[in-house]
Amino acid sequence: MGSRQITEKSLSMLRSLPRITLANIRDNPGSKITQKRGRGQHGGDKHGAGNKGSGQRQNYMRLGYETGNNPFYLRIPHENYYRGHHLKREYPPMTLLELQKLIDRNRVDISKPIDIASLIKSGLYTLNPDQKHFGVNLTDDGADIFAAKINIEVQWASEQVIAAIEKNGGVITTAYYDPHSLFILKNPQRFFETGQAIPRRMIPPPDAIEFYTSAATRGYLADPEKISQERLKLSQKYGYTLPNLESDPQYDMLTDRKDPRQIFFGLQPGWVINLKDECILKPKDEELLQFYSM
Amino acid sequence: MKSSLNMASILINAIKRLHLSPQIRLCSLNSAAVTTTTANKTINILKKEWEFPPLYTKPREVWIENLDTVEEKKLGLIELHPMVYAAPPRIDIIHSNVIWQRKYRWVSWAHTKTRAEVRGGGKKPWPQKGLGRARHGSIRSPLFRGGGVAHGPRSGKSHFFMLPFHLRLHGLTTTLSAKLAQDDLHIVKDLELPTDESQYLVDLIENRNWGPAVLIIDDTDYAPRNITAATDNLLHVNIMPVYGLNVYSMLKHDTLVLTQAAAEKIEEKLLYHLHSDNRERMKKFKIDQV
Amino acid sequence: MATVLRTHSAFARLLVGKNGRILNNSLDLGAKLLPESQLALSSKHYSSYGKSPFVRKIKEQYNYEIEKNPPEWEYVKRLLPFTTIPKIIPKDSYPSGWVPPKEEALNHPYFLSRTKNAELPIYLKITYRGMRKISIIRKIEGDIWLLNDEIKQYLKQKNKRYVETRVHEVARLIETKGDYVNDLREWALSKGF
Repeated sequence: MGSRQITEKSLSMLRSLPRITLANIRDNPGSKITQKRGRGQHGGDKHGAGNKGSGQRQNYMRLGYETGNNPFYLRIPHENYYRGHHLKREYPPMTLLELQKLIDRNRVDISKPIDIASLIKSGLYTLNPDQKHFGVNLTDDGADIFAAKINIEVQWASEQVIAAIEKNGGVITTAYYDPHSLFILKNPQRFFETGQAIPRRMIPPPDAIEFYTSAATRGYLADPEKISQERLKLSQKYGYTLPNLESDPQYDMLTDRKDPRQIFFGLQPGWVINLKDECILKPKDEELLQFYSM
Repeated sequence: MKSSLNMASILINAIKRLHLSPQIRLCSLNSAAVTTTTANKTINILKKEWEFPPLYTKPREVWIENLDTVEEKKLGLIELHPMVYAAPPRIDIIHSNVIWQRKYRWVSWAHTKTRAEVRGGGKKPWPQKGLGRARHGSIRSPLFRGGGVAHGPRSGKSHFFMLPFHLRLHGLTTTLSAKLAQDDLHIVKDLELPTDESQYLVDLIENRNWGPAVLIIDDTDYAPRNITAATDNLLHVNIMPVYGLNVYSMLKHDTLVLTQAAAEKIEEKLLYHLHSDNRERMKKFKIDQV
Repeated sequence: MATVLRTHSAFARLLVGKNGRILNNSLDLGAKLLPESQLALSSKHYSSYGKSPFVRKIKEQYNYEIEKNPPEWEYVKRLLPFTTIPKIIPKDSYPSGWVPPKEEALNHPYFLSRTKNAELPIYLKITYRGMRKISIIRKIEGDIWLLNDEIKQYLKQKNKRYVETRVHEVARLIETKGDYVNDLREWALSKGF
């Protein structure tokens, strides 16, 4: 027991000290600062709050109010750029470097398809669907170091990102999720515990349909034929040889895709997951089957 | 002390050289190498394979004792994880836990009446002007003898607050470590007693030089009959299930006695929290949360 | 969970039809709404409250099958959160630049343990609106004073100036005045921590 090993030293010091009881414990000295009355020349003054009025009473004017002037936020003409900002969809970014970090530290399993649920499950990516977050935007920081063969489904991706993933033999899909689905994907366990049936995924809103049906952005509603053409086109543009998917040993994993109405991999809408008894309730009623297949 | 430690390390190294099965090692040790002990004594050492093994600090080895005789018998050794049983002793964390445990259940019933609640005092005692006396509106004003109290205590004041999660977690590891370092933590095989007499337990505590107040922790909700009956009349010997373990009770009792199962369960639970994502538990505590 | 309820209401609306009333907090959300059971839900006006019928518990259930140990359970398990933070499986290379701790780190008289997220416990604390920068090394075990001497020496050599440090033995941390996080990380990685 070296005398300078701090933990061992303090524990061995305790051996020869009286027993720690309720009577002889205390906080660290100086950890609590008690408020004291000011003394001296300005001790009994206004304590920096000025004389009378809103300063002393701390009832400050509302933000932006300029005591009767035309306030700044109304004086500036309307910026068209901000039109409808409260309706715009947000995609919190995640860089390829961060994704590589997750993969290196085994936070996501690359032997299975990666989707927004597994990214959130890693604990190092947060999404707030109630704050108009509509999923992950995979950005191209670290595209040159990225070296994992993955099947990933994101909500937004640029051309460089698609190239970086396909160069390594991976597959990327961009897919739309409505906020309800994202809430469920954010914490699937909590949703399963409510005992409700898995809902259907909604189709994208009109202004997003173009993105998600385009093969160039690897949209989930695009024609697979066109996507393979685009894959080849992109490889020629960026100058890499496209690895052959068909001869890949992980072909099944790499081509695993969700149905446009599906929220989770392998689980159909309409099913109820019972976590306690580890069983799945599947509807057989014609009416329900029709509803969930729509 | 140093020589005994050297001896212990020789002992441990000798055991480690044996290369036995990792789960439970029963190793017979020829005590010829160790001068102090009697010849041909066998020691059972319980080695563990942790999911998160200790890196720098060595595991603690603690004797497993018996309760079925008054005299102490050492039944073997158990290895305990240093993150739980040899954490740095932070007296300030222990202190904050004790303050929290005192305060969160404390409702102050101290109460005083305001000028409105004291009986009488509706009439103006004397006219405002003309008497040469100070102006007053009520004989129950706080300035009067027998008047109400200004800013006095009002009953039903809760002092509830929640200590941050990791302070609660490290409060337990720190206290357990301090108890172990001060020889106030003992591990017993089980809680089976030969009789249900209180005197037996009193003798046992006296004989083993345990402090008079003893806290016994088991991992089951129901302790064996004999020990329940024996401790029933002893107000300073208490039994608690594992989930009731807390800093205040550990400090209130002089000696902490854990069963082997309880010690392992505590270790498992605390190690789980020390190695998991606790962000949900670290969030601000709300009283009305589900 | 508001959204979940909304998905349900969407579901109920489909079954009830355009004019049917959807009861709030209905416990029978999963129950089948047959024409006779919809009676209670339709917005019919009665002459008085007393003459209106009781809302009956709806008995008809949708037809479903319960599958025990289904093959799809593997997909469910994939969605459940980690119990503890997953262990890092050793790999040949780490393209992200993360460096695993080395074996020889245990041979020093001091030790820096990684955090539970397997990162080095070296942080930068910026206070006074960026005027004060303090680099903090946490989770120190062993000889903290020797570690202090060594990083002081290392930082002085590297930056060609005296670097002020403060040792907190109780909390097992060292504070360094100034932003030396990258230097300290470099030092820690060179020692194998």
